[in-house]
Amino acid sequence: MQRKYSVLLSAALVSGLLAGCSGKDEKEQASPSAQSGGSPSASEASPAPSQKKPTEITIMLPLNIAETPPDTIKNEVEKLTNTKLTYQFFPADTYEEKLNSALATGSLPQVTYLKNQATFIQMKSAFRDGQFWEIGPYMSEFPNLSKLKPQILDNTKVDGKLYSLYIGRPLARQGLIYRKDWADKLNLEPPKTVDEVVAMAKAFTEQDPDGDGKPNTIGLADRNDLVYGAFKTIASWLGTPNNWGEKDGRLQPDFTFPQYVAAMDVMKAIRDAKAMNQDFAATSKTDQVNLFTSGKAGLYIGSMQDIDSLNKDLIKNVPTAVVDTQALIQGPNGQATTWAIPGYNNVVLFPKSAVKDEAELKKVLAFFDQMMTPQIANLMFWGIEGKHYTVVDGKAKVADDKDLVEREVKGYKDSVIGEPETNGMYESYNTLEGRIHAEEFTVENEKIAIHDPTAALDSPTYTEKGQELQTLITDATYQYIYGKIDKAGFDKAIEQWKSRGGDKIIEEFNAAYKK
Amino acid sequence: MQEAIVRTEPAVRKSESRLSKRLVRNKWLYLMVLPGLMYFIVFKYIPMYGLLISFQDYKPFKGIAGSEWVGLEHFRRLFAEPDFLNILLNTIILFGLNLLFFFPIPIILSLMLNEVRISFVKRFFQTLIYLPHFMSWVIIVSISYVMLTMDGGIINELIAGLGFEKINFLLSPEWFRPTYILQVIWREAGWGTIIYLAAIASIDPQLYEAARMDGAGRLRQIWHITLPAIRSVIIVLLILKIGDVLELGFEHVYLLLNSMNRDVAEIIDTYVYTAGLQQMKFSYSTAIGFFKSLVGLVLVVLANRLAKKMGEEGVY
Repeated sequence: MQRKYSVLLSAALVSGLLAGCSGKDEKEQASPSAQSGGSPSASEASPAPSQKKPTEITIMLPLNIAETPPDTIKNEVEKLTNTKLTYQFFPADTYEEKLNSALATGSLPQVTYLKNQATFIQMKSAFRDGQFWEIGPYMSEFPNLSKLKPQILDNTKVDGKLYSLYIGRPLARQGLIYRKDWADKLNLEPPKTVDEVVAMAKAFTEQDPDGDGKPNTIGLADRNDLVYGAFKTIASWLGTPNNWGEKDGRLQPDFTFPQYVAAMDVMKAIRDAKAMNQDFAATSKTDQVNLFTSGKAGLYIGSMQDIDSLNKDLIKNVPTAVVDTQALIQGPNGQATTWAIPGYNNVVLFPKSAVKDEAELKKVLAFFDQMMTPQIANLMFWGIEGKHYTVVDGKAKVADDKDLVEREVKGYKDSVIGEPETNGMYESYNTLEGRIHAEEFTVENEKIAIHDPTAALDSPTYTEKGQELQTLITDATYQYIYGKIDKAGFDKAIEQWKSRGGDKIIEEFNAAYKK
Repeated sequence: MQEAIVRTEPAVRKSESRLSKRLVRNKWLYLMVLPGLMYFIVFKYIPMYGLLISFQDYKPFKGIAGSEWVGLEHFRRLFAEPDFLNILLNTIILFGLNLLFFFPIPIILSLMLNEVRISFVKRFFQTLIYLPHFMSWVIIVSISYVMLTMDGGIINELIAGLGFEKINFLLSPEWFRPTYILQVIWREAGWGTIIYLAAIASIDPQLYEAARMDGAGRLRQIWHITLPAIRSVIIVLLILKIGDVLELGFEHVYLLLNSMNRDVAEIIDTYVYTAGLQQMKFSYSTAIGFFKSLVGLVLVVLANRLAKKMGEEGVY
């Protein structure tokens, strides 16, 4: 008797659950059609693919937030692209380990995102061993994928072969973020030359820009990062090559150029004048940001997009603060230059262990081809219109509920290939004046950008121990800035770099460069 | 010759039968040992198979079976590394300082705690000094950074306030070792007292009573009763500590390491990370780790011998 009851009960429970599910499905199916009524392109695309069996695709990618996003966006994408997607999110902090172990055990899924440029360089030997599909020959079959920028695709080639699709980023976002209210108070114009930047840093330190009568401010806040911190950007303003440059017809590393030494002298001058945080070689990004947002420091050199988060925290502490961005800074010869990244911040790969044959590869690529359409790109990058963003002046304005947007969209946002110019998604709508300037400067920067000539080149010795050798130069650079070694000491470090394998790296890059 | 074999046979058989008899008699005891044994076999011995990759040019996607053998190539590279001696020396100096300044502190602390008569006060302080152990190194190092930085750090402000020149604690090579040792003491001293306090608690109180009758004061009691009673514990912990010679806490040192103090702060663990793991050179990293373990093993054996010579029990 009792048994019968329990069977009945569970049957009732199951059917109740099913009913609940189907009810939800109906609702969700209803919502997009209601929305897409506004945009004709959406209603056109959706009915067509529903005839065929959906393609099943498993995707592995890093997650930059704490929680795995809900399926809200995924369900929409599946419907529009006729796919059945399985997303495997792994925390970005430990993503490399996950990647390595999955690679070692041959368990990478059909679509594998890497973490950043550095992991891409490390993976190069796996490409040569034939672990991944070479997709170059198929690109022309997909009209949207062929829109990807050839220059950036070249940067992601290994031995001239294309294995990956890239996630695009603006080439040159580096610049200066400064306290406009301080500059106005001290009657300083936005700096146009490196000397004026140094002068501003000194003025912010010595002339009491916050007006409290105490010497408690500094100019520049920097951190223990010579690349994404202030140093490389200042060096590029002075005309230092981006990692490698041509001298006497041969490629040479940046630190052998006189401009590099000039950049070290500029940093040294700022530090000696106590116009920056004295401990910057041991300062983390968090501490650096704190110096700026607490109202102690007035200059920040790095990615200009950081202005949004810097401003948000700064006005909490100093409500009267005004920040602005500045770029196109000229070196001593009156020319403005700046360095550029290779145009991507991550790539996506297709392992042979999971994608069995050409037909399957084409199906997977077809999904990415669809991702390059404005409809899907916007959906994955910005979310659902009306819920996660609204369109203002043809640009996407993120909804006020930032937490909701981050939870539901951020996980997918970082996986969208291409950039607005190629996949047709909306640019971001900014309200902060400094950020609007930053976007303008980013466009201008691109015209004067110094590119890394070795981005698409390869040197086995560099892959083997380039990073380890770079430590020699990094240490010497800091020691020079701190006055612990002089030019002769720095030259000695270069000699060490050369004798421990640097000479070989130079040779290999030059051999590859001539080809 | 044949005679000899014949003669030994019964002896072998005898011991065999004794062994099996013992096994049968104590079967429940052996059964209880089994899970522990399995643990060591599965989690400690089988993974040692991975050491093979230190003799290979290991490629993750080829696996151990498919990778090329390179003999002692990685070890050769390690010993030929120009910085190798310096790194080894840094590691040993840091360990020596650790032993000299950190090791006695939990002993002194537990002796002091033991002398606290009011049990509430004793427990309170015990808990208080345990707490830092549960903070991660990141937090300890960050707190130190905030206190030591030249840009408004409280200690440097104090030094400047007293009219002295500010000291660059975070970046100068001279201050790396003191900072490291003080942080280790800060975090681990309290935690280290647990075993000593347990050993002290097991001392027969009659000994103290007898000593008091003979007119021994507090210090005399500590010197003649407490310390001798926990001597073997101290020695065992010392030997175990020496076994960890090259385990100086990667995370801790890595957080303190920067371009200005690398000359004294680069130790084997951090070198493994920057030269090996960051560049996916698994074989080289494993070779260095292997070398490190060998050094540790040799030191433990030596320390244990020394302890036995001095009439102590040792760890094995």
